[in-house]
Amino acid sequence: MTENPDAFQTDAAPPPAGQVLDAHLHVLDRQVLDRDDVPVTTADDLELDGIEVGAPIEPGSPRPTVSAILTGPQLVMRLFGGHAPAARTIRIPWRLVSEVGTVIHLGVAGDALDATWAERWVSRHLIGRIPGGRHAPE
Amino acid sequence: MSKIFAVALGILTAIGGFVDIGDLVTNAVVGSRFGLGLAWVVLVGVVGICIYAQMSGRVAAVSGRATFEIIRERLGPRAGLANLAASFLINLLTVTAEIGGVALALQLATSVAPGWWIPVAAFGVWIVIWRARFKLLENVTGLLGLTLIVFAVALFMLSPDWGQLAGQALQPGPPSDEPVATYWFYAVALFGAAMTPYEVFFFSSGAIEEQWTKQDLAKSRLNVLVGFPLGGLLSLAIAGCAAVVLLPQAIDVTSLSQVVLPVAEAGGKVALAFVIVGILAATFGAALETTLSSGYTLAQYFGWSWGKFRKPAKAARFHLSMIIALLIAVAILATGVDPILVTEYSVVFSAVALPLTYLPILIIANDREYMGDEVNGRAMNFVGQVYLVIILAAAIAAIPLLIVTGAGA
Repeated sequence: MTENPDAFQTDAAPPPAGQVLDAHLHVLDRQVLDRDDVPVTTADDLELDGIEVGAPIEPGSPRPTVSAILTGPQLVMRLFGGHAPAARTIRIPWRLVSEVGTVIHLGVAGDALDATWAERWVSRHLIGRIPGGRHAPE
Repeated sequence: MSKIFAVALGILTAIGGFVDIGDLVTNAVVGSRFGLGLAWVVLVGVVGICIYAQMSGRVAAVSGRATFEIIRERLGPRAGLANLAASFLINLLTVTAEIGGVALALQLATSVAPGWWIPVAAFGVWIVIWRARFKLLENVTGLLGLTLIVFAVALFMLSPDWGQLAGQALQPGPPSDEPVATYWFYAVALFGAAMTPYEVFFFSSGAIEEQWTKQDLAKSRLNVLVGFPLGGLLSLAIAGCAAVVLLPQAIDVTSLSQVVLPVAEAGGKVALAFVIVGILAATFGAALETTLSSGYTLAQYFGWSWGKFRKPAKAARFHLSMIIALLIAVAILATGVDPILVTEYSVVFSAVALPLTYLPILIIANDREYMGDEVNGRAMNFVGQVYLVIILAAAIAAIPLLIVTGAGA
């Protein structure tokens, strides 16, 4: 990116301070944990604000921002291509992210998120109904 | 004092937990056909599993990430999924073999046909996974598995010609009456039996189950470096017994009763009782480990909540996938397929699947983002790369050898 001198002329903002993350390398396919270290999902895809998929990016347009971690049908799309209806996409808004390391930490409890509905469904209707399912192992 | 006890317990469970149905059957088959002529493969396999288990345990303890989280993150969703599919299916084959092994051991003890024992064995595995703590199931099956030492005792009681056994072991190479391809086919099978991939899913996930930290690494290294080689000696004793009793009479190993025949001949009913308890514990322990591994691999790829340290309802999809895996294993065995045959195929395919998980672990063990200062040293990387070549060679040769030799017929 720095090899293109135009990039500096059209974008006067200073280089971002702090940790620099490569979305593909450091965010995609990483484990997402909630505030109690309970796994929520894996980051199957990212939602970007400020750019249209397929549309050319005009010089001088504002930086796109990551607005959400996507999961659910997004994984199938990344595996086999195609589009999922927007209504079925499961979003974890990026503002809930508290830390990005070898895992992505959220600052909220996972149980409150749409991303855990499948886990909660299996728990409530199948596993939780088997005797002993709600007790810790002995 | 309690520290010494903990270390001793760890080593003992590592010995007892080393042998599973794959080692039992493959070592007996090889012993009855080649004597100790393939003993060197057990040696290569034991060193390999030491390196592999130690590396994956270290990665899990330092980074807190288990094998399949790392595979997905490094290979991306597509290659990761292909890897998951292959690893999961081969692990499922191993689950089937172990459940079948439990049923065969119960048949030896009771003379009731294994068909009746298969659902009992699967239910037993499930209830233990459902209710027992991780440490407890590891310790009990590992300690009871130690009764397999009776193979070593039996070998001494048979008072074999040690010079002849040593001669077989020290002069590797195919015997004149067996085709070269068959010799190498069994070499690959024995290698796959010693280095089964599930041990690594289990080892790395177990490190997280038991919440290992860097301080626990020294203990785990000792368990692995002492326990596994002694477990390897048990494997050699199984092959040795077969070499002394079965080879001269040209008895082919096609069932568990032939595996235990030398022990019964040497030590009578008491020895037989010990060996049945040992086989039962070893196969039951391995059935637990492989079933857990099927849940671990799926949950880690998809990012589900997993682990026996959670209540089942708090790792619901993890537990559901293990129940489904057990049901599939029972369904496969219900077709009447011979568990010994399933075992023979499972060890060969294990060799095929090894590079899929070995390579990502080797790469991550060198990644400072995950490992900080605990990355592989030079010596470790050298040995690790030598084994990468061996593992790749075995994986590539496995299927052609399987076809050429007609599964070693």
